Parts: sequence; structure tokens; C-alpha cells
Amino acid sequence: MTLLEAILLTVITASTPLLIAAIGELVVEKSGVLNLGVEGMMIMGAACGIVAAIATGSGAAGVLAAVLAGMAMAALFAALTLGLAANQVAAGLALTIFGIGLSGVVGAAHVGAQREGIGKLEIPLLSDIPFLGPVLFGQDPFVYASFALTAGVAWFLTRTKAGLILRACGESAASAHALGYPVLRIRFLAILFGGACAGLAGAYLSLVLTPFWTSGMTAGRGWIALAIVVFASWLPWRAALGAYLFGGITILQLHAQGAGFRVPPQLMSALPYLITIVVLVAIMRLRRGGTAGPANLGTPFVPDR
Amino acid sequence: MTLTRRHLLGTAGALAGAAALGTSAEAQQRLNVGVVLIGPVGDFGWSHMHDQGRRRMAEVLGDRVNATTVESVAPPDFDRVVTQLVRTGHRLIFTTSFSYFAPTQRLAPQHPQVFFENATGPTTLPNMAIYNARFYEGRYIQGVIAARKSRSKTIGYVATFPVPEVIHAINTVMRGAWSVDPSMRVRVVWVNAWSNPAREADAARALIDQGCDVLCSHTDGPAPLQLAEQRGIFGFGQASDMTRFAPRAHLTSSVNNWGDYYAERARAVIDGTWRPTDTWGGLGSGMFRMAPWTNMTPEEVSEAERIRDAIASGRLHPFDGPITRQDGTVVIPQGGRLTDDQIRAMNYFYQGIDATIPS
Repeated sequence: MTLLEAILLTVITASTPLLIAAIGELVVEKSGVLNLGVEGMMIMGAACGIVAAIATGSGAAGVLAAVLAGMAMAALFAALTLGLAANQVAAGLALTIFGIGLSGVVGAAHVGAQREGIGKLEIPLLSDIPFLGPVLFGQDPFVYASFALTAGVAWFLTRTKAGLILRACGESAASAHALGYPVLRIRFLAILFGGACAGLAGAYLSLVLTPFWTSGMTAGRGWIALAIVVFASWLPWRAALGAYLFGGITILQLHAQGAGFRVPPQLMSALPYLITIVVLVAIMRLRRGGTAGPANLGTPFVPDR
Repeated sequence: MTLTRRHLLGTAGALAGAAALGTSAEAQQRLNVGVVLIGPVGDFGWSHMHDQGRRRMAEVLGDRVNATTVESVAPPDFDRVVTQLVRTGHRLIFTTSFSYFAPTQRLAPQHPQVFFENATGPTTLPNMAIYNARFYEGRYIQGVIAARKSRSKTIGYVATFPVPEVIHAINTVMRGAWSVDPSMRVRVVWVNAWSNPAREADAARALIDQGCDVLCSHTDGPAPLQLAEQRGIFGFGQASDMTRFAPRAHLTSSVNNWGDYYAERARAVIDGTWRPTDTWGGLGSGMFRMAPWTNMTPEEVSEAERIRDAIASGRLHPFDGPITRQDGTVVIPQGGRLTDDQIRAMNYFYQGIDATIPS
């Protein structure tokens, strides 16, 4: 295996959880809801995933539990922000803090317990192609899932009527409501989808990348996923680009350090956020004001009767 | 982010302390001891081993002590937790992190009737002692073993923060490695965290991809060691015996043991002989040990044990001269030896290490 091949493989594994979580959040935000609780849902997915996988001995059960845990957290958020029309920023932050604490309790009995990671799914024949084979077709199932999700969401948002309605809820909830669409129900489903993705991303951390539980193991990846959505100006394929850019920077700076280059790691750790700010500024300049975000993003909607 | 949880745990700990005090009148005779932890008891590393120490102390002294552990105390919550411990009658308080050094130093004069002990801090006060272990002695042994095991002649080091404790550990690993083979090299990656398992694993991957085949790690968890197992190379455990995380990759762990020290200090308070001491225990003190030896040949084990015994008995000292900095300046010539204060302040790599220390 060449070094380039090795670096690419590592970049893919570092980027995949970011991409999965970012795609979920992108759908949530497209429906007009800002859920800052990605970190909390992700870490609950990580904790419940590994606990269920150890209890049942099945990786698939772990993944399922992680997805359900993410959705349960998301449902809690939905109850607050849709049911009670609570402030979304406050509710999202609370969800993160709550998730980090609760995951510590869930995982407490399994600290240090470990299991075999979920293996790779090599696609026959294709994975034998030199260089491209192992990189593209010798990955774990989550990597394929992340791309299927990206393609699916891109198709759904731009090519289907349901996607159009979801976007309408995000651009102008009042208009969508006036047209007779159940805005709150659509937003609820979007929030659940976001929770499922965040949970799946968490499962990737605790079942594949580092197959054990330790409290706080998501270490800010949920926040990076949020930054990626903004970076991507709410476009799915650009979110994939963003996730790989952020994942790539992380890995390259580790390699640069190992090779003895003088790079301040503190600066490299801050780079994803700096790039997000630069991209935001660039977008604002190009558009001469206004953002690429859904017009009703973060605004609670209370249907009148 | 974990403020809420820490508040909850802090309150719970304080309540437990209050309950312990209120339960019985004979508790008047007992010494109440508080242990403040920076991480969760279940981190399987640093904080876990301090809690084990608390247990050991309670075992040794039986009903002469009552011990309270408060875990995951963030530095901003420290004052409140310690004040609560003092108010509930704790007379000996162990603050087990360097992050607690400054706050302990500030609080100690306000509570002259209480004895404080800070782990890894640099200076004492009339009612504040400091204690640490000479973990670098274990690092020297790791270097020797790594040089025996490595085929690529390259050690990978997953480093945390550029503080003297980590810098002198890297230097000492290489000192040990060069004693076997002067052509040994090290690659260093700083992850800027004590615990971020996925990034630790990514750092380990990067190091292995660059040809390192023995991994040393300074982080609190087993992630780099697990990666070593996955990739079929070797690695070392930190703070506790980590064999089970990597049955085929694990060589040895540096296993901390604070219990005997805690028992001795609590007994000193009970007997009225407590002094603000500065303890820096080495392999000979029992404050940590290298255990077990796994995946090593009998010859390698006997060499490691020989070096361990030489260090423990003082015949071999990892900071004997000559010591030359990366840039070529001589720190101490042949025949000299660094003082403890010089070791504690080390902020340079030795000549021969071509990694950089972030400023």
C-alpha cells in the first residue's frame, strides 16, 4: 500500500461521520429548523450503539440502537421546539449538554469495554483494482451509506415533490401552511431524520473508528457537522466536499506533524472553522447580502386555527 | 459542555460527603479525606487510578478514615467543591490534577486547619504538599523495548500538549531507544487533547502509515494501542494495565499506584506528623510499576527487568549527561545530571529528535 493510498483511506474514515451528521442536519435546516443539538444526538448514538452491540453481540443491533437513540433525542427536541414553539437555539444547546451528560450515564457500566469493530465490506472484483479498488470499493458499510445518503438527499430535495414541500416549509412556513401542508409534521419528520443521521454518525465513532466507549468521545464533531452545513450553503454535494475538506485537513496535519513539518497544531485544529467563516464571507460578497440559508431558518412556526 | 453533568456530580459528591459526616457520632474520631478528580472515575486511566488509590487507603486504614471522591470536577467548579468538602469536615484533601495546582494554592491559606495535597504541582505551602511519580523512568524502559521490537527503527509518539511532563517523556523514550540502537528515530504527533479517541486513532494511523511500528502514547485512553493491535504492530499502555485492549500488540503498561502514598499521608494526619512534603516517587517507591510484560521474548523481558532494577536502585539515571539540545547547545556535559527542577522545566527536544515542539 502506498502512503498516498493510506492517507486517502484515513481521510475517508475521518470524513464519513462528519458527512453523515452534516447531511442529516442539512435536511433539518432545509425544513426551517435549526437543531444545534447534533453533538448531543451523536454522542448518545455512540453510547447506545456500543452498549447495545456489547449486550447483543451484534454490530447491526448496535447501529439500530444508535439510530433510535439519535431519533429519541431528536423527538425530545421536536417536542420542545415544535410542540411548545420553544427557542430553537436554546433547545439545541440544551440537547447537546443533556446528551453529553446522559451518554455518560448510559455508557458508565461499559467504560473500557471493547468489541471487534465492524469490518470492511469489500465489493468483489472491483476492490481488486489496484489503488482505486481498496480506496473506493474496500470500505466499511458506513462509507457507502454516507454516499448513498448524500445522493438520496440531493435527489429528494431537488427532484421530488416531497422535497419541494420540505423546502417550502423552510423558506416560508406560513405559505406552506396556507397551501394546506402540515408544516409541523413535515418538520418533525425532518428532525427525526437528522437525529437518525447523527446517531448513525455516533455509531461510526464507537463501533468502527475506535470500538470502545469513553465519555465525551465525539469531541466536537457535531459542531463541525453544523459548520459544514453552513460551509456547503445547504447543498448536499457541497456538504460532501466540505466533510472531506475538513477530514482531509485533520489527517494531513497529523501526517505533516509526523513527517516533522513545522505546523502549529492549534492553528490546524481551528482551520475548519476559519474556512467556514471565509466561505460565509465569500458567499455574502457574491450574493451582495442575504444568506444561502432557508429564509425561515430558526423561526418557530405556530399554525393559526 | 459537560457543565451540567459536572454540577450534578459535584452536588452528588458533596451530598455524599455531608451524609458521611452526619451518619455517626463516632465519625468524630475518623479522618475525613476528600479526593477531587479531573475526569470520570471510569476513564480507565488517570482518574480511575486515583480512585483506586482512595480505595486502597480505605482498605489499609479501615475505620480510621472516611473517604469521599468527587469526580469530573472542572477547574471552574473546583473552589465550590473544595469549600463544600472543607465545610463537611474533610481535613485532608487530595487535588489530583496539575489544573488544580493554582486553585489549590489559592484556597489552602484560607483553610489553615485543612491539609491539601496536589498531584504534579511544582511548589508547596505550609498546609499544602505536592506529589508525583517519575513516569519518565518507565518511558526509558519503553524506549529500550521499542528499539528491540522495531524493524523500521521508527517509534511513533501520540503526544498531548507541549508541557514539560510530555516533552521529557519523549526525550527519555529516545534516550532508552538510543541505548540499544543509536539509529532509532521518532515521529511525534500532537493531538492537543488528553482524551479525543477518534483523533488519537487518526494520529496513530498517520504514524503507522509513515512507517512507525511501535507506538508510545501520552493520552488517557487506549485508542492508539487499539490501532496498534488492528495494524499488527506494538504499543504501550498508560496509567493502568491495558493488556486486554490489545492482547497481541501490548508490550507493557506503566501502572500507577497512589494507594500506599494516600494511606501514609492520611496516617500522618491522624498521628499529627503531617509535613508539606515534595514527593516525586520513582520505580523504587512503588508509586508505579511496569506490568505485565507481554508479547516479549524471555531475553527481552530479562533485559527490561535488568534496566528497571538499575533505575529503581539508582544505578542508571535517565537524565545523566551528556545532554544536548536539538539546536546543538549542551545542557549538561558528561558526568553531570539534571536537577529535578531542570527536569520539571524541560522545554526542548534532545539532539537527534527531528520533531518540533509547537510554541
